[in-house]
Amino acid sequence: MPRAAAIAHIPELAARLVSLERLEETRGWRSTGVAALDGLLAGGWPRAALSEITGRRSSGRTAVVLATLARAIAAGEATALVDASGNGGGSLDARAAAAAGLALPALLWIRCAPAQALKAADLVVAAGGFGVVALDLCDSGDARRRIADAAWVRLRHGARSQGTTVLVATSTRTLGTAAAAAIELGGGAPTFLTDGPPLFAGVKSRAARVRGGPRDESAREEAACVSLAFTCRS
Amino acid sequence: MRLACVYVPQLALQAALRRNPDARDEPAALLETAGPGNVSSVGRLRRPELIAGGAEPSQGSAVKKPRVTQLESRARRAGVRPGMTAAQAHALSANIRLFTATAADREAGAAALADVGYAFAPRVDSSDGGERIFFDCADLGQLYPYGETAIAQAVQAHAARLGLGARVAIASAKGIARVATRAHALAVVPAESAGARAFMEPLPVELLTDDAELRAAFRRWGTRTAGAIAALPADAVALRLGPRGADVARLACGKDDEPFVPRLPPDALEEAVELDYPVFEIEPLAFVLRGLVDRALARLAGRSLACAGLVLRLSLDPRGLDVRTVPLAAPTREAKTLLELVRLDLARRPPDAAVVGVRIIVEPARVRATQLDMLRPAGPAPDRLATTLARLAALVGPENVGAPATVDSWREQAVAVTPYVPPAAPPADALAATTATPSTRLTVRRKRPPEEIEVIMGRDGPTALRGSETTARVLVTAGPYRLSGEWWQPPATAAAASEPNEDAPGGWAHEYWDVHASDGAVYRLHRDARDGRFYLDGYYD
Repeated sequence: MPRAAAIAHIPELAARLVSLERLEETRGWRSTGVAALDGLLAGGWPRAALSEITGRRSSGRTAVVLATLARAIAAGEATALVDASGNGGGSLDARAAAAAGLALPALLWIRCAPAQALKAADLVVAAGGFGVVALDLCDSGDARRRIADAAWVRLRHGARSQGTTVLVATSTRTLGTAAAAAIELGGGAPTFLTDGPPLFAGVKSRAARVRGGPRDESAREEAACVSLAFTCRS
Repeated sequence: MRLACVYVPQLALQAALRRNPDARDEPAALLETAGPGNVSSVGRLRRPELIAGGAEPSQGSAVKKPRVTQLESRARRAGVRPGMTAAQAHALSANIRLFTATAADREAGAAALADVGYAFAPRVDSSDGGERIFFDCADLGQLYPYGETAIAQAVQAHAARLGLGARVAIASAKGIARVATRAHALAVVPAESAGARAFMEPLPVELLTDDAELRAAFRRWGTRTAGAIAALPADAVALRLGPRGADVARLACGKDDEPFVPRLPPDALEEAVELDYPVFEIEPLAFVLRGLVDRALARLAGRSLACAGLVLRLSLDPRGLDVRTVPLAAPTREAKTLLELVRLDLARRPPDAAVVGVRIIVEPARVRATQLDMLRPAGPAPDRLATTLARLAALVGPENVGAPATVDSWREQAVAVTPYVPPAAPPADALAATTATPSTRLTVRRKRPPEEIEVIMGRDGPTALRGSETTARVLVTAGPYRLSGEWWQPPATAAAASEPNEDAPGGWAHEYWDVHASDGAVYRLHRDARDGRFYLDGYYD
């Protein structure tokens, strides 16, 4: 090819190049499993970082965590759930989780006391190769008081070096600035079917983005919260 | 057929040296009181430092002194000879290392020799008294195009990696290969009969047979070499010396009919050691285990296999056996990982008494082969995952680590934990599946066991509840849903029944409610129809 013709193709080739920042964006997020939350976070939970989802009881925190795990497992990734609830016996309802689309054999489930949760999560993250590690501290009392900030920083460092998404579910905001993305669920309103005797149908919640999301400031202001609907009947 | 013969002279001494690789550069000899089978009579004289230091252990007058039975070339050059006592050997060579080989050493040495063969062939004939193996090497020409000498060198090098100094010969018959290993450290006998006869011709008669009677007979006849025997009429030799003499005469002519009896490798691979002193602490035990694991993994590596399971058999002092299975999440060939797992297992459940012997049984398996994807993570590395699972088990208990599984039961809270296996690569249509949104379905966050609570009942169900974590009015009630089951099971004992245990055997009957409480949560609670008590199962989330 003559040199002049080659030079003429340079603009065309340059147009096809993807900026490093854009590449990082497309590769740097993982779906939450909930389309509305993906939109709120501009792609989902950040990879190789800590994320946090908070809310009171029956606000749908567990449903979001399980949806994220189900999505990662469906993509062939290794996942783990550190379950520090249920008096050490774990709070996971295996049947309901399976019904929600979670492939149970592909989930590493660690039942532990709240005091062991950080250590267990650290071990799993340090093993490497896990796409998502969920840390369930929903019923662990005041985790913010019990867990030192340095522990979160260490976990964040591990997540960054191993490329793992660490998702922490709590009842109150705990991670502070250690979280790259944080969602707060609130305003949960249970719905009951009342055609006959009352029958619990689901919960409608409101998800507010506390940290993370789009980098563009105007886009951040546009949608800082979305409505979510969770069902309990198939 | 071309047969390779691997001969390890003085296997007992070499087996002892495998356990003490630092002594390979020094003169070494093997001490035994009687024949090789009577090694137990040596008893506590196995302490090498004591023997090496020149101090003669005190023995009862009835017990014979241990004497040198096998020695390597440096010790021989120093003047040490078989039959000498430890003191005599030390007088001739101050730095000689004297060992005794336990039954475990001999067994492991013979197994390692067999593994030399299994590294090159699927079946090995090890019926020749333990010091010698045969295997078919006719097909190895594809891998070693530079000829049979290269094959023999490769076999010898692999034996050296397993700590065995071997002599290797390749021939067309077992007997000829056996004689060749006696004559040369590395030999290739021509395949054609004339070449084999020419190879045998100069060899002395002593190499053809171990039978002293036959040797003496040939010496009386003035036949010193195989060529001289081959020149004798075969019928006359058979008439005078019987069938054994005829066999030797045929061997001298480069002919042999001894059958090749190959066997498949054993299912498990073992390494063992008997300790000189009872060991109480974990660290010294881990040090001993390090050598065992290293040797076992070297044998596995020769067969391109990895360790899929490890059984540890500890002989306790004064008697007893502690057998434990060390779980492995995936096959691994890393000694560090295996030692970490064993160490964690020992730390979690120390032996009941001091340990006097250690045996590891390794289950071989193919290494996990995965096709990596450029755009997706490869998943946890098998060895690191195994170590991590073991550490987690040590932290929270093995029953709390694994994959959740549903249980065939009508009990709502029933759950089981199964061994965790990392997910395989997703099928091709999985990508399409991942674009679909999983249902955002609420699940009940279970309280295990259910918490007993106080409930005020109204006409339509619960109107208020009080537990350890909540006190609330009930705004909306859904239920009751009546469930019962396992009435066919024998009831729990009276003592056990007094405590709330939902998983206790025996029939059960529950009335469930979903209640929207004034604290905003939707709880799942039930009343036990047997005693009327209320329990909080959890809440929807």
